[in-house]
Amino acid sequence: MRATVQQARDTCTRSELRLPAQPSKLSVAREYVRDAAAAFGFDAERCYEIAFAVNEAVTNAIRHGRPDEHGEIHLSTLGEGERLTLSVRDYGTFVASTVDYSPTAEGGRGFALMAGLMDTVQLCVSSDGTTVRLSKALT
Amino acid sequence: MGFFYISDDAPVAGIERLGDIAMLVAGGDIDYDASPQLRERLADHIHKGARRLVLDLSKVTFIDSTAIGVLVGAVMRLHEEGGGSLAVVCADENRRVLRIFEIAGVDSLIGLYRSREEALLELATTG
Repeated sequence: MRATVQQARDTCTRSELRLPAQPSKLSVAREYVRDAAAAFGFDAERCYEIAFAVNEAVTNAIRHGRPDEHGEIHLSTLGEGERLTLSVRDYGTFVASTVDYSPTAEGGRGFALMAGLMDTVQLCVSSDGTTVRLSKALT
Repeated sequence: MGFFYISDDAPVAGIERLGDIAMLVAGGDIDYDASPQLRERLADHIHKGARRLVLDLSKVTFIDSTAIGVLVGAVMRLHEEGGGSLAVVCADENRRVLRIFEIAGVDSLIGLYRSREEALLELATTG
């Protein structure tokens, strides 16, 4: 059991990026996530999908959320075993969208696209912030 | 900042005049940062009277939901103006952009073609 726990710890990797909440920084977020996903072992197509999903979450945080006192939102990665989880946190309180989800609406597609490309999408709302967790397994 | 460009009146092999069809070509990353430029350019053409728009995205390396929303908005604007169509061109090789269109589920609004010639042929046929 001890050896198993140690092995799990050895394969657990974390990283964090604090990103200015500005549209011009989205490309930085995508590059960061692509690199993290590639280092974790995903192929180029999966790296693209993960970067796409995170881009949607970061865009939502910039558009609808609130940055920390430094004007930043937090993007973190956690690799555990075969699974990579990416979290996008802002300090606003998520408000359920009243967007028209019809095909002719301009907005409201972000979460559907994230869900279409990731294994899991979680929205965690608390009084001090909103976190979107996206995860995907290698196999 | 990501790389993005859009230009008008892109050439089509074998066709010298496009009549009332506006042909645009974009490249690079179309995200929330670049989408306003795309929206502005499409709106400008519609404002000037274009009712048939062809947008070639074959060289686009990234497209997000805000860009898809801009395209849907342009289609709705054309409908408000009395009718028209937006044809998006994306070469088969650009599987990443094609995949996003498939998942976004906008095929009932936006015609997707594999080449500019194919899009123009369709527009010429449907008027």
